[in-house]
Amino acid sequence: MRRLLALVLLLQALHVGLAEAADKYLVLVVTDPYLEMHSGPGRGFPIVYVIGRDELVTVLYSRTDWFKVRAPRGQEGWVRRSDLSRTLLASGEPAPIPPYPDFASHRWEVGAGYGVYNRENLVTTYADFGLTSSLDVEFVVQQAFGTLDNRYIATIGLRHTFVPEWKWFSPTAGIGTGYQFIQDVVPPAPLQNNNEMAYVSLGARGFITRRFMWRADWRHYVVFNNQNVYEDLEEWKLDLAVFF
Amino acid sequence: MEIRLSSILLVAALLSGCSWFHRGNKGPPEVVAEEPQGEPSIVEPQVTRRVVKTPKIKAKDFEVGAYFGALSIQDFGTNPVYGVRGAYHVSEDIFLEGYVGRSKAGTTSLEDVFPDITVVSNSGRYFTYYDLDVGYNVLPGEIFLGRGRAFNSALYVTVGMGDVKFADKDQFALNFGVGERLLVTDWMAIHLDVRDHIFETDLTGRTKNVDNIEATLGLTFFF
Repeated sequence: MRRLLALVLLLQALHVGLAEAADKYLVLVVTDPYLEMHSGPGRGFPIVYVIGRDELVTVLYSRTDWFKVRAPRGQEGWVRRSDLSRTLLASGEPAPIPPYPDFASHRWEVGAGYGVYNRENLVTTYADFGLTSSLDVEFVVQQAFGTLDNRYIATIGLRHTFVPEWKWFSPTAGIGTGYQFIQDVVPPAPLQNNNEMAYVSLGARGFITRRFMWRADWRHYVVFNNQNVYEDLEEWKLDLAVFF
Repeated sequence: MEIRLSSILLVAALLSGCSWFHRGNKGPPEVVAEEPQGEPSIVEPQVTRRVVKTPKIKAKDFEVGAYFGALSIQDFGTNPVYGVRGAYHVSEDIFLEGYVGRSKAGTTSLEDVFPDITVVSNSGRYFTYYDLDVGYNVLPGEIFLGRGRAFNSALYVTVGMGDVKFADKDQFALNFGVGERLLVTDWMAIHLDVRDHIFETDLTGRTKNVDNIEATLGLTFFF
């Protein structure tokens, strides 16, 4: 109990500390006739206060497309991104409201999805870093649920997007290598619990909305083992992802 | 296959060897021109340049927390469950969520009537799961407490999939949930969730889909 209390106090202290440390918030000048402040970060929340033209607004933080702001007289509320982006800095420059990441040239992707690996259900997660707008390094960690065994698969590979400018559907191809760990469920036990693998992939990706995207992939794996014949595996999957 | 692979490796090794030989052939040494010693031609400005730094806006789209509640494991009674959760809010409507939880199953009616029978081993009674979900805020709004207090809230639905490890076996599980998020402050939220973990099992003799419904109370922090 005491430990829990200490944890809560620590969290509180941390929070207060962070708030104190960041005493230099962004201050913007309203240029529209007025800036509407909503009671919550959503389109349906009522407007509870307005800030007039040429008044200053302090931006505290953002949540999705909404910005928590403080009016000159201390009232706090949430302002829509599109409204806040029409304000100016004190120097007269436009407000530095970060735009949405451009889908064609984004750097990071993080996603998860469903697939079928060797005819078994697959839960998959991935992170992807763009070296250029068309060449990415991707890391995949996934779990396949078989009736005979349970497999954990981790791969690293390169992925090429042929036409990154195509927004809604753009084909991709990739190669890579990885590792599979087999947990035996039903005997007989597999001859090897750990295998190195290599794969080739064909796929596609597309934009959904804002920073949301989809990705589909077909992969052919070659599983290296100590037998005479390499094992061949097929996989397909569909991911939903967020890009930055 | 083996021979082809090794021949490719051999060629690759030879090629890298060739490039190694080329390393020695350097171009002519560069001539470094010396600066003429004389008076400096430019007057040093006496004014220091003011660096204007605009503070960055901090995004608080992540939510992390823990929950505690009751999980009804089909055929194995209702038991306490606890877990941790993390979410990323993509837009005001959509969020991505992941969580890990654990419970310990009780005994089946069969085991209660016939104490000598064991359906699952003691270690197999742990019900451990992880899930990856997509959530949608269906009914955002405000909740009023008396005259002077209003809390932002949202009723949301989630759908996802993951792993349930029960009876020492990992099963692919789907889950459906409904929850209520009540923001006590803008950085702290209370969650009430009801979720169903569905998976296929043959634990009690025949293969069937089992529903494992949990009701939990959680606390999360935005950062």
